[in-house]
Amino acid sequence: MTLFSRLGPKGTIALAVVAAFLLLAVLAPWLAPFPEQGAGAPNIAEKFLPPMPPHLLGTDHLGRDMLSRVIYGGRVSLSSGLLIVLVSLAVGLPIGMIAGYAGGWWDEALMRLTDVFLAFPALLLAVLMAAALGPGLLNAVLAVAVTWWPWYARMARAEVLTLRSQPYVEAARLMGVSNSRILLRHVLPAALRPLSVQAAMDVGPALLTASALSFLGLGALPPTADWGQIVDAGRKFFPERWWYSVAPGMAIFVLALAFAALGDALRDGEQKDA
Amino acid sequence: MKRRDVLKSAGLAGFAFLAPSAWTIAVAQDGSRILTLANPTGFPDLDPSTSFSNDGLVLANVYEGLTRYIPGSGDTPAKVEPVLAESWTTSEDGLTWTFTLRQGVKFHDGTDLTAAAVKGAIERTMKIGGGAAFIWGAVTGIEAPDPQTVVITLSSPQPLDMIAAAGFAAWIISPAAQAQDSAWFNAGNDGGTGPFRIDSYEPGQRVIASRFADHWAQAPDGGFDKVSFEVVEDSVLAQNMLEGGQADWTYGLPYDNLESLKANPDLTVVSNPSFETLFGLYNTKRAPLDKVKVRQALSLAFPYDDVISAGTAGLGSRAYGVLPQGIWGHDPDAPIPNTDLEAARALLAEEGVTSLDLTMTYATSDPLEQVAGELWKANLEQLGINLTLQPMAWEAQWEMAKADPAAAQDIFVMYWWPTYVTPYDYLVSLFRSEEAPNYNLGYYANPEVDALIDSGATLAGTDRAGAEAAFKAAQRKIVEEAAAVFILDKPNIHVTRADLQGYVDNPAYGHVVFADSLSRKG
Amino acid sequence: MGLGRYLLRRLALSALVVLGVTFLVFVAAQVVPSDPAALYAGPRPTAAQIEKARAELHLDAPLPERFASFAVAMASGDFGVSYKSRRPIAQDLRAYLPATLELAAVSTLLALIIGIPAGAMSAARRGSWFDRAGGFGAIAAVAMPTFFLAMLLQAIFAQSLGLLPLSGRLSREIAISAPLETVTGFTLIDAVLAGRFDVLRDAAAHLILPALTLAAYPAGIAMRLTRSAMIEILGRRHILAVRALGLSPARILFGHALPNAICPALTILGLSFAYALTGAVLVEIIFAWPGLGRYVSEAVLSKDFPVIAAATFVVTLCYVAMNLVLDLVQALLDPRVALQ
Repeated sequence: MTLFSRLGPKGTIALAVVAAFLLLAVLAPWLAPFPEQGAGAPNIAEKFLPPMPPHLLGTDHLGRDMLSRVIYGGRVSLSSGLLIVLVSLAVGLPIGMIAGYAGGWWDEALMRLTDVFLAFPALLLAVLMAAALGPGLLNAVLAVAVTWWPWYARMARAEVLTLRSQPYVEAARLMGVSNSRILLRHVLPAALRPLSVQAAMDVGPALLTASALSFLGLGALPPTADWGQIVDAGRKFFPERWWYSVAPGMAIFVLALAFAALGDALRDGEQKDA
Repeated sequence: MKRRDVLKSAGLAGFAFLAPSAWTIAVAQDGSRILTLANPTGFPDLDPSTSFSNDGLVLANVYEGLTRYIPGSGDTPAKVEPVLAESWTTSEDGLTWTFTLRQGVKFHDGTDLTAAAVKGAIERTMKIGGGAAFIWGAVTGIEAPDPQTVVITLSSPQPLDMIAAAGFAAWIISPAAQAQDSAWFNAGNDGGTGPFRIDSYEPGQRVIASRFADHWAQAPDGGFDKVSFEVVEDSVLAQNMLEGGQADWTYGLPYDNLESLKANPDLTVVSNPSFETLFGLYNTKRAPLDKVKVRQALSLAFPYDDVISAGTAGLGSRAYGVLPQGIWGHDPDAPIPNTDLEAARALLAEEGVTSLDLTMTYATSDPLEQVAGELWKANLEQLGINLTLQPMAWEAQWEMAKADPAAAQDIFVMYWWPTYVTPYDYLVSLFRSEEAPNYNLGYYANPEVDALIDSGATLAGTDRAGAEAAFKAAQRKIVEEAAAVFILDKPNIHVTRADLQGYVDNPAYGHVVFADSLSRKG
Repeated sequence: MGLGRYLLRRLALSALVVLGVTFLVFVAAQVVPSDPAALYAGPRPTAAQIEKARAELHLDAPLPERFASFAVAMASGDFGVSYKSRRPIAQDLRAYLPATLELAAVSTLLALIIGIPAGAMSAARRGSWFDRAGGFGAIAAVAMPTFFLAMLLQAIFAQSLGLLPLSGRLSREIAISAPLETVTGFTLIDAVLAGRFDVLRDAAAHLILPALTLAAYPAGIAMRLTRSAMIEILGRRHILAVRALGLSPARILFGHALPNAICPALTILGLSFAYALTGAVLVEIIFAWPGLGRYVSEAVLSKDFPVIAAATFVVTLCYVAMNLVLDLVQALLDPRVALQ
């Protein structure tokens, strides 16, 4: 079955949208109509222009081209979404694997720890962490990852629990293969597959949470374009100068929508496989 | 019928069960006699002894001081006006001040204003020692020889008439209220003599005050019966309330919205210079900012005019050093730099600086400071300097600056405004050398400047001209040595309903409305 | 494991979680680069005033000692005073907690009212245009940034059409001219108790937009979960049997299939309420809703540690208590849960 037939028409469109955003983000300096302004250079002679050529999405309070700002903002959003998921995996996976494999006291302690983090209202914890760390892209990523890893820890533990009783793992253990080797060589690769699908689907919600932090002023440092922050800055001029908030707001929405639709399609595809 | 109207009537039908009784009828019963002030912050402390924040808006209508400061404008010089004191004299050495109190003044609890009450009020403030109590720092004794006379003695000469006019810590409190603690005041009680008395207080929401019938001054015709001090933190909502007639006054709306507000016939935009000035303190303890020429170069690279036009819609004014216009000691001929990238480049070359990484800290969610940073950054980039803009909560920004100058920020951007109208406050707080930094967050230390500030302070009580000369000299030195980049003097922009009469903004009292002098047209 | 033991175990775990959260908040507060004494000393304090505040707050005590006294204070409900406003925090919480709970309850209700029937309808008419549109609506509701949705709703219903108030919880005119007496703190209930139907209408109008904003995400989730649960149930044997007996589709759907979906619905309820508590931070800021979310976010920005701690503690308590109750109800309905 080819990728596209597995994804179906909706999934294919979603994938195309995600790919387009990725492409725009990576090639921003070449694709943005005003790359310098996208990166933050002010142009105060043209402030608050409504959408019309050459500024297809208008300009902001410092006269910067909104389209370029939104394209550059995609870099921050996509990378924060990806980083959140990666950092969370890096923390959650080992914890979940150790808990599942070692069992007993370890399992109990580590799982209660994840319970604590899961019981904490997620956005509140993220805001708390971000405020403690101060604004900045990496700090925002860490703040969200703190609320994110427990899910992966739980998933990894569940995977390991089923894998542990698999004949080949049992066999390896009986042959005297060391625990760390079994975990790394046999359990990890098998557990990674379902987790990575989940992780791919989580990029959307992750960047949505990151954009909420950035809306609260806890995102990337200015003048870096950051969607949530731009929506917030434009709020004071909304709806009179609607383009200011609408452009980045729609960008977050469409990208998160595409990720969600892609996730659905992936899940449906898996079910078809099964 | 336009599309929008169709939508509107369809929507109206749909929401008929919610059809607004309350919020459109607005102030149904005689709303014209209620003044609604939409204040962008809460009122953190209603204790008149310790209040040192935006609570001044409420307190200035409920309490009165001995005097009031009226700033000069054009050719009219500034003056100190009698309020609870009718007149005052000072001894030749400036150490003894005698105030004669106004007759027939009553506190809100019905008791009479006496010299003993004044003595008790100031002593309460000094004893608690919170907020701006330090303005009474030089007071050594307060006597009440008779009910109408208060004699205050000082350890050093001070302009006590101006100190008594302060917007903080100078309020006169009734003897009964003097015995109360902070919680009593913050539960919505008051003990003032002012034209309004507090009816109710909902923290974070509003203070409602009504006219005090026995106030010593005649209420103006058509004056307001009630004042509602509303806490409206969201500027979008504040603007909406002004436009809809649900509020009479506000400030803090985005500068970029003022054009459309000015075009609205229902609204008046009142623009005044303020005593609030914006600047960035250079970390003079850290290389290469310890070199005067490097600091001068950075100041030469600052886009002063662009920040005024893009950040304040052209309403701010150039800062001539740290003292804004309207404060005595302001120096309109100060040798301030103008934006000149070539000159900046030359100075940097002299010091051998070719590339540099600097960090500027400023308050989170202050759009003006951010605009200043972004425009400056663009200029500095052309000189090979990379400026990192680091927004921080004020508390965190301040904490970092106080901890260790060597590890602190390179540039500390902040506002300053005076506790009472004196140049001393700006200069001593920000540029007089400090052993442990408190507000001198550029760690500037120059014995010559210290001496000038001190001599100005000693002369202030007796020889105003001499003091002014000393303060100006100190300020010149600070400007020449580029201890800070003086960004701009902030404009005071207040938006009122057009039918509000008698509104005058007094920059000496921050964002205070003296509700007593207002009335509604028609 | 019997129901009794299950209950005990869940209670113990909840207590552990609350203790853990308390500890986490305390640690987070230590990381915060700020000086509580400077905050406590008031706006623009002098160095001497800060020193005085430091002594007053006993900030020099060792860390473990401070955590112990902090945990004890939290447990006894003595939240101390805010460093910034110096007001007793318990008093503030009494005012703000009902506001947040009211908003959360109404938005949860909205999410269920919208999400569950829509999901059930979609399931009943799989593949129809309603199912497709609903499917897109659900996914869009999940992908919409809360703050952006809030702004759009405000722009449409308040700023352009003027149908609903822009923000706040009650009209200011009511507070000034005829204030509502606070009994429960829930405005809707207080208005009914006082027989003030003008206030009831006003409060309801203020609730619509924030509640709708908060309901969007959980409504989307509710719809998707209901749909998949219903599809699964509709495919079960006994439903096929009653269908063969010729019962009307509506009776099959609501009489036989829905009751089987009660457990998933409880899950949805839990999710919605939890989301409403968390999402309150953003929504309360935009709608100037005088609730816990706004209170705590302001405290976070000014590093007002006692307020952060108390508010987080109370929100977590609500969160944990709700999960506990839901789990217990589920265990009662379906004893298999307790055995797991």
